[in-house]
Amino acid sequence: MRGSKPQSRRIMSFFTRKMSRRTIMQALIALPALSLFRRLSDADRPNADPDAIVEVNGWILKRSDLA
Amino acid sequence: MIFDSYEAFRAANFTPKLCILGSGPAGITIARKLGAAGIPVVVLEAGSREFSDDSQDFYRGSTVGDPYFDLDITRLRFLGGSSNHWAGWCRVLDKQDFEPKAWAPDTGWPISRADIEPYLNEVHDILELPDFRPDVSISDDIRWVQLIKSPAVRFGEKYADELDKSKNIAVVLNTYATELAGDGRRVTGAKLWSNGQDAGSFTADYFVVCTGGLENSRLLLWSNQRSNGGVVPNAAALGRYWMEHPTFEGGNAILADYGEFEVDATNEAFFSPTLAAMERLKIMNFGIRLIETPYAGIKSLVADLACTAPDMAEWVAYQLSQNLRCAAQLYVAWEQAPQASNRIELSKTDVDHAGVPRIELHWKKSEMEHRTLLEGLRLFGTTLVEKNLGRVRIADWIVNGGDYPTNEELAGHHHMGGTRMGTDVTKSVVDANSKVHGMDNLYIGGSSVFCTSGECNPTTTITALACRLGDHLGKVITV
Repeated sequence: MRGSKPQSRRIMSFFTRKMSRRTIMQALIALPALSLFRRLSDADRPNADPDAIVEVNGWILKRSDLA
Repeated sequence: MIFDSYEAFRAANFTPKLCILGSGPAGITIARKLGAAGIPVVVLEAGSREFSDDSQDFYRGSTVGDPYFDLDITRLRFLGGSSNHWAGWCRVLDKQDFEPKAWAPDTGWPISRADIEPYLNEVHDILELPDFRPDVSISDDIRWVQLIKSPAVRFGEKYADELDKSKNIAVVLNTYATELAGDGRRVTGAKLWSNGQDAGSFTADYFVVCTGGLENSRLLLWSNQRSNGGVVPNAAALGRYWMEHPTFEGGNAILADYGEFEVDATNEAFFSPTLAAMERLKIMNFGIRLIETPYAGIKSLVADLACTAPDMAEWVAYQLSQNLRCAAQLYVAWEQAPQASNRIELSKTDVDHAGVPRIELHWKKSEMEHRTLLEGLRLFGTTLVEKNLGRVRIADWIVNGGDYPTNEELAGHHHMGGTRMGTDVTKSVVDANSKVHGMDNLYIGGSSVFCTSGECNPTTTITALACRLGDHLGKVITV
């Protein structure tokens, strides 16, 4: 419809009225980490060394980064 | 004295003991050393005082293998040579770069870093450098290294007045030595082309070829072909073991603290591996260039987001009207393993205006180089994790073994090898004094004598080797 905003813009407008920009950004940064977490099948093993180096999707990480 | 033509030089009746071909950093440095020692020298420069398309055209050529720069744009053919477009980044090859490596065939120089260190004070004066600072160990595997960004001395501009006033140095512009003649023991003369026409022959007691890391091989291959091996009697390695510094964006990093590493005036820091790490992983030397983008507040958050979700970050950055990138970019330049198959050949079909065959450069990166790139980034990433300094993300194409991108830097415009230094005449062209094996009066200056390339920009080492060669020739030549 002429003059209307796309749905994604309307959703973002709602959030930006309710939340600070910093909060939005922190949430956005957290999203990719969820993706990383899903790819690491043993990330939640109780005996896994939290200091072990893991490589996930090109990231060189400490296992505890994914906890 | 500076002459604009060979005819003007001849009219001056100046009789040099030694002839230097090329007026780049190596040629001018050697000339100044010998001139100061009272030895009469002539420098033949194929170009003029300024850039010209006509002169550059002599440098056209072709490349076979991996994508590379056009050969007439990756170097310059006028007074001062390629110093006229270098960036001024300075560092001397590491001690470990001179040593043989069991995991990389044909590495190791016949000289050590200690052999050029006595000349570094002179190099600092020539290139206008402060003192280098020692490396800083970050871990057992990674060290912070200093790469000085100097004022980028243009040798032609800096030394033109001095050369013009010199009584012992004659610089002859617009004079192209198209070939050397030799009898298998000595160079007997040089055939010249000046101001667009044949200018006859010229001879001197000694010749030093300093025409650049591509052109040295071209001149000697052509000369050898014309004189049936009389210029480079042991020619098995001539034109071979050519090297560059492949350079690509390797990934990104999020840093815990922007103040953790010392960065230069453009927010860049450089890191290289230890010899132990290279040996353990069986990789070559490399330099990681970390470019910080020290944003604050919301900009910092967007920059961090750009590492993990670039599309989203681009949208957010657009909303903020900011061009923000991931927190730090990582560029990697690395040492190529010397390979005889990377070589300069003479074109069988294409010649320049003077009738000299153009270059056909055969250049291909090997499997070891991909390993150096990938394992080098892993090494750096692991160090950042272990020291809790940050996190690294390696670019997808590197992790997945994809093709090298064709829209990036590609390489450093660093032309090395082709007339490498060594003791084995089947794998080298010059000896430890840069004298061509088997020849009494022919020497080579410049990065074509490099046996290995290390990870750093070559001009500082070129200048140090030129000081050393100038010193040596000053002792050999009697006036």
